Amino acid sequence: MTTRPTAKDLRHMLAWVVGLVCVLALLATPAQGLTTDRTTAAPNQDGGRNVIGGEPTRITWVGTVEEGEEVTGITLLFPAGCELSDDSYVKVQEMDMSDPQHPLHNERSATIDLTAARLIVELDEPIPAGNLLYVEIYKFCLPPVSGQVIITGTYTDASGASHDLTPSPPIDTIALTSTQRLINDLSEQEWVKAWNSVKFLNIFVNPLWIVASIPSLFFGWLRSLGLVLLGFPLAIPVGLGISFLRMSRFRLLRFVSSIYVNIIRGTPLFLQIYIAFFGLPLLGIKPNDYLLGVLVLAMNSSAYLAEIFRAGIQSIHKGQFEAASSLGMNGVQTMFFVIIPQTVRRVIPTMTSEFILLFKDTSLLAAVGVMEQMMFAKTLVNTAGNMTPYVIAACYYLIVTLPLTRIISVFEKRLAASEGREAPPGDKDKMTKRVGLFKTIAPLSATDSEPLDATTPERHSSA
Amino acid sequence: MTTDRITGTKTSASTGLRAVVRIEGLRKSFGSLEVLKGVDLEVDRGEVVVILGPSGSGKSTLLRCVNLLEKPTAGTIYFEDSCITDSKVNINHIREKVGMVFQSFNLFPHLSARANVALAPRKVLKRSHEEADRIAIEQLEKVGLGDRVEYLPAQLSGGQQQRVAIARALAMDPHVMLFDEATSALDPELVRGVLDVMRSLAEAGMTMIVVTHEMGFAREVADRVIFMDDGIIVEQGSPTEVFDAPQHERTKDFLGHIS
Repeated sequence: MTTRPTAKDLRHMLAWVVGLVCVLALLATPAQGLTTDRTTAAPNQDGGRNVIGGEPTRITWVGTVEEGEEVTGITLLFPAGCELSDDSYVKVQEMDMSDPQHPLHNERSATIDLTAARLIVELDEPIPAGNLLYVEIYKFCLPPVSGQVIITGTYTDASGASHDLTPSPPIDTIALTSTQRLINDLSEQEWVKAWNSVKFLNIFVNPLWIVASIPSLFFGWLRSLGLVLLGFPLAIPVGLGISFLRMSRFRLLRFVSSIYVNIIRGTPLFLQIYIAFFGLPLLGIKPNDYLLGVLVLAMNSSAYLAEIFRAGIQSIHKGQFEAASSLGMNGVQTMFFVIIPQTVRRVIPTMTSEFILLFKDTSLLAAVGVMEQMMFAKTLVNTAGNMTPYVIAACYYLIVTLPLTRIISVFEKRLAASEGREAPPGDKDKMTKRVGLFKTIAPLSATDSEPLDATTPERHSSA
Repeated sequence: MTTDRITGTKTSASTGLRAVVRIEGLRKSFGSLEVLKGVDLEVDRGEVVVILGPSGSGKSTLLRCVNLLEKPTAGTIYFEDSCITDSKVNINHIREKVGMVFQSFNLFPHLSARANVALAPRKVLKRSHEEADRIAIEQLEKVGLGDRVEYLPAQLSGGQQQRVAIARALAMDPHVMLFDEATSALDPELVRGVLDVMRSLAEAGMTMIVVTHEMGFAREVADRVIFMDDGIIVEQGSPTEVFDAPQHERTKDFLGHIS
């Protein structure tokens, strides 16, 4: 059987080729006197971790002076498209490694010549072997496109000879995002400056951080929603099962299920999260954080749902069970075709509020490092030093909770109508109007379960 | 009790086919309150038995014991050939053949009239969807609700709801029908429609045990009237005997109060 090379095979092959080329390159390159250790650019995206090209950033170049060498100067070459900003400057430092346990940072004086194309540093004193050379270029703009930037250059040794540097590892850049452009534009606006000059507005509703938070927190919001959308449906069948156990005719089952319900409802979810997240690893179980978060939420909610279902089922009038029995239906048939359909309609409003509670409670998972809305907001607040991301996070929660609260009342009205508690026109005196279903779970009498208008039999005995 | 049951089984076979329900020495207590204090009753096929009595006399409890909605404290009940108080009997099979109509209708509020009637034929008798619907519509037409099949219980008047409940019981093709104060929850003007349905059922030969306060119905339709008080059968006989010449003080008292 012949197989065509798959994408995986090709990738493997490519990896081998690249590896081989690297090895050859290493063999071919003469020993370096100054090795490039790392080259980085500081993230300059508000509310993100990317390096945006065309925006001022800080470039850090670090190299080690090898044995038997001294370095007196360095030239870094930047690719085309780089730009200086108005206040670009350079800092040169030496890391003294003579005591490797306690490296010393020394500022080094040097003659510096910086343009958009290159940086020439001539050190006043050479840097001895074994020490590290730090070059930091502040407020420097990389090319304004998405791509990779590689910095090359040369160094000068004590003899005055010039040698090539090993090219830096690539720095990933992204093009200026529309969000960032908006933030930049906004920050120039007079009204924004005026707005932010008011301390309260600046701290809680800073326009720049509003713009930065909205796209960034969107993903946190999706994750929080994911937690509850996975956890809640899981809690429903578990809760239903437990509610059956709670009503079981076997004492032991009732006992065990009531312990489960009482312990879970009687302790904070926060504590349950801690026990699960710190306890399981001690047992050698290390599940995925997100998955464990879903499970803890589902477990917690199942206990509440069990009580909601139990109360819902018990609110169904005894006459419904009797009518089903009198028709020869067995317990399971009665439950599935008569009782549960009625219960579902009655518990939907309460279930919806339980959903809202659980959605808000996903925020507790931030305490154990599950990436969700609260965690996203916290990270942003830490970099921003501003409360605005929390305010935006609050808005994201409200996007879910406010419409659901509205839906609950619609459900309630519809249910009231379907059970005949809203009198159909022309039949008003027959149907006793009942309101306040939200306490549904409290025994509620539907029209079918109780004489609506009990008249004394004597009054029409001659009929 | 065990011996009762054994001898009972033998005698039930010997009574022949006429008795549909036979009750012997039935007692029922709720806690310390004894509601039925030893009731014997036999209902023949095609017979309409009306049970009268003041409230609290135990007539509803007696009726509810016939399909074991209440579990007797003592005594035996036979339905056709089976001793239903025997714990080995599958009560659900008995209940298929014993229709019951409740004072409070107990329709399933989430189902249309048609679905209310069709549910048990489908789930219990395992009829097909179409077959069950056909039965349901036929029964609803019989009780005069052919134009209301898709209505929800909440959209129907009390009298209509009770007629749906009767259709629902009839859809199981029962051998006996129990009516537990079927008209007591209805407005006076709605009672007639329900009684008409019950009357035509009786005329069609249905075996019926009826607990009611409708004296006119009892006099006109009953084959036998039973007067109960304080957990026992005080007096029974044809409507004429009981209504026109009651033998016991308590019966006279009760009838005197009513009329």
